Amino acid sequence: MSETMAIHLARTPAKKKRWYARWNWTGAATTLVLLILWQLCDQLGLIHFAYIPSPLQIVGGAVQLLQEGALQAAVAHTATVAVIGWAIATLIGLILGTIMGLSKTVWTWTAASVEVLRSFPSITFVPLAVLLFGFSSSMELVVVIYAAAWPVLVNTLEGVRTISPGLRDVARTFHLSVWRNIRSIVLPAAASKIIVGLRLGLNLALILALAAEVIGNPEGLGYGLTVEQQALQPARMFVYFISVGVLGIILNAILQLIVWWTLPGITALAERGRKS
Amino acid sequence: MSQPTAVTGSTGVSRRGRRAARRGNVVPLRGLAPLVVGLALWQIFGTDDSAFFPRPSTWVVQIVDLAKGGTLWPALGATLESLLISLVVATIVGGILGIIVGASRFVDRALNPTLEFFRATPSSAMVPIGVLLLGYTLTMKVSITVIAAIWPILLSTRAAMREFNPTLLDVASVFKMSWPRRIRTIILPAVSTAVLLGIRVGAPVAIIVTILIEILTGITGMGALLAQSQQEYNSAATFGLLVMIGIVALLFNFLVGWIESFFTRHLPPA
Repeated sequence: MSETMAIHLARTPAKKKRWYARWNWTGAATTLVLLILWQLCDQLGLIHFAYIPSPLQIVGGAVQLLQEGALQAAVAHTATVAVIGWAIATLIGLILGTIMGLSKTVWTWTAASVEVLRSFPSITFVPLAVLLFGFSSSMELVVVIYAAAWPVLVNTLEGVRTISPGLRDVARTFHLSVWRNIRSIVLPAAASKIIVGLRLGLNLALILALAAEVIGNPEGLGYGLTVEQQALQPARMFVYFISVGVLGIILNAILQLIVWWTLPGITALAERGRKS
Repeated sequence: MSQPTAVTGSTGVSRRGRRAARRGNVVPLRGLAPLVVGLALWQIFGTDDSAFFPRPSTWVVQIVDLAKGGTLWPALGATLESLLISLVVATIVGGILGIIVGASRFVDRALNPTLEFFRATPSSAMVPIGVLLLGYTLTMKVSITVIAAIWPILLSTRAAMREFNPTLLDVASVFKMSWPRRIRTIILPAVSTAVLLGIRVGAPVAIIVTILIEILTGITGMGALLAQSQQEYNSAATFGLLVMIGIVALLFNFLVGWIESFFTRHLPPA
């Protein structure tokens, strides 16, 4: 698909189809059938695992947790930490990535350090952060920021570095100031790569928030998961698990919508960038 | 990846041009300077008995202690063993599922919501469930890691199958190829780059999940050592293990990247 065509497709609203035609009915039906099969297996005793609750038991657990208010509090905590941490990480990654991408000297003298540090598995920083910050939300936040900053930084760097020389010449011909150059040329040209970084960063932010809660911070969905696991309450545990998945989907969808609204046309290019 | 030339492998780029392009992407070693200078300053101005930031030489002492105590190498072996098994299983299962799901428009649409849910679910949430269902075993460690690392491989293979040019299968029909032959000569080459890309994305995820499981459950491994040193407030050992796991991960990802470039060396640079 050529780029112009991709942009064209992205800008054309899919209004020609009715809403019910755009909905993935096959998928919805399959999911429903799978859930019903799961419920039947459990009720007829065909397959019975001690610790796998049936869908109806999970619904019961959800009602319980909602009435206690534990689920709302946990979702709010995890979502807040993940989003705030991700936002701070994005800011750091954007600034450092742009600087490293624009200056060949800075890149030469720092890129290898970045390569080494970013390939350290961020999960290993959780015990260290527990040691330094204790079992607290600041520990969780620090870990989330650290983990989510790398993909934003690396993708911004790549995006800025690979801007076509023609665009650089345009900036030079018009004697653009550094600031104007970054705002009007560099960032828009690198946007599709940056968006990939933002998405990866958001996913990592959630993974690390969960991990930090499971290991150390006594709050949020991750803590709920471990508590119910140790209390041998599988139904309530699966409620937390499903909430984690739904939270992931919602946060990703919001990011996609924001990108869609602010940068129409980039979305299609970002899709291509993610694949290649 | 969408261009058909990527499958046939015939390109207009000369070998020298490709090599030059690769050299342009090589990161100069000079860039390690900030890291080295930072560690050196830490070593010079830090103290041995700092509760939180002991200087680097104490890390080495602690790691050597662990190695002498006979816990370091078995732990490293255990972590690498379960990582390798998980990645191999994830590659085979993810590749096959990806081909099946991507080959049929109907199966693709039918399973899409389920796949999207599991893809969006942070892998770390899977760990408590695995512990409850399977207990503190190697099977649990490998299964959870496989479940976490399989998504990038599955989804990237599925995407490659979606873009798969049906004409290629018509060619197979014309030549009256047997199914094993079709899979070997047409389908596998068409998805191999996608599978390799999936492995490269999945490998870091597998490392994260393996270490997390070890931290949580205390099953023999680098993560368990890390958790132990944290619980003993041994910050020097924590730093040392962190660096060691980092170096192992670096080598591991490098190896995966090398395998990928080895298998895709006949393709044009992306």
